[in-house]
Amino acid sequence: MDIERQSQHEGSVATVLDDVWVTIVWNDPVNLMSYVTQVFQTYFNLPREVAARHMREVHVNGRSVLSSGPREKMEVDVQAMHSYGLWATLQRSGE
Amino acid sequence: MRGFERRDGMAVALLDEEERLVVARIVADVALLLGAESFGRDGASEADPASDIDDPFAHLRGLEESIREPSDPAILRLLPNAAPTDREVAAEFRRLTDGELRAIKTRRLRRIWDQLSTGDDEWVVPADAALETAAALTDVRLVLSSRLGLVTDDDADRLHAEIDLASHALATDDDNMLSVDPERVWLGMLYQALTWLQDTLVEFVAEQE
Repeated sequence: MDIERQSQHEGSVATVLDDVWVTIVWNDPVNLMSYVTQVFQTYFNLPREVAARHMREVHVNGRSVLSSGPREKMEVDVQAMHSYGLWATLQRSGE
Repeated sequence: MRGFERRDGMAVALLDEEERLVVARIVADVALLLGAESFGRDGASEADPASDIDDPFAHLRGLEESIREPSDPAILRLLPNAAPTDREVAAEFRRLTDGELRAIKTRRLRRIWDQLSTGDDEWVVPADAALETAAALTDVRLVLSSRLGLVTDDDADRLHAEIDLASHALATDDDNMLSVDPERVWLGMLYQALTWLQDTLVEFVAEQE
């Protein structure tokens, strides 16, 4: 799939390692705080209090980074969030 | 209506016949929006054929083809843009996930429809289906919220105030009632009822842990 990107970065381990993506969940006026916490806890397998902290971050700051890693993994996480009706996006880390 | 309570390890809510019909109907309507076939023999098939339904067969076509972003804002809330600043990433994500997400969401809605069509006042949700059922309720609420124009937290607060006003006017035969759009109030009350039901179901899930 990403042949172009791979060849571009060939030989540069640091750059490949730097190609880290993140999953961001955004605030919306529909989802209940208890529900968002529960989804974070269940899907990302987080302790209750960590899940609740991410939920508050979404609610107060408008967004929270829930996971990071290769793009393909972030696509899986974002898809899972969409299946739960949360608005999640993926992007390169640091963008 | 009674919210979900725990019984024998399952979540059980009480809905009378009319409430079950209303919830089953909106569940079927949301599935139609997602491109599913009509659930029931009645009700759900009344959808306006001219309404803005996105290509229901999009997910059946080859995976090589790109899939357009839904034009209906309600469907876009169910299948949102996964990378608003990167068109290529967003298109790739949609191409990879659109069909599966529609299938997952439709399956969960269908299960609710089945559970509400037993003729029994009890809505019984097994523990292992509780969070998925709450997810389906979110999808229904997302569609309702889009129709109600809820974009910010303030919009949601205003809706609650409007409905309180309308309920008060209804209870006291106040003429101010005339200034409230009855369809908006009806949708808003349905939204609130589903919010409340979902809340009790999420509470059930949280207690499981």
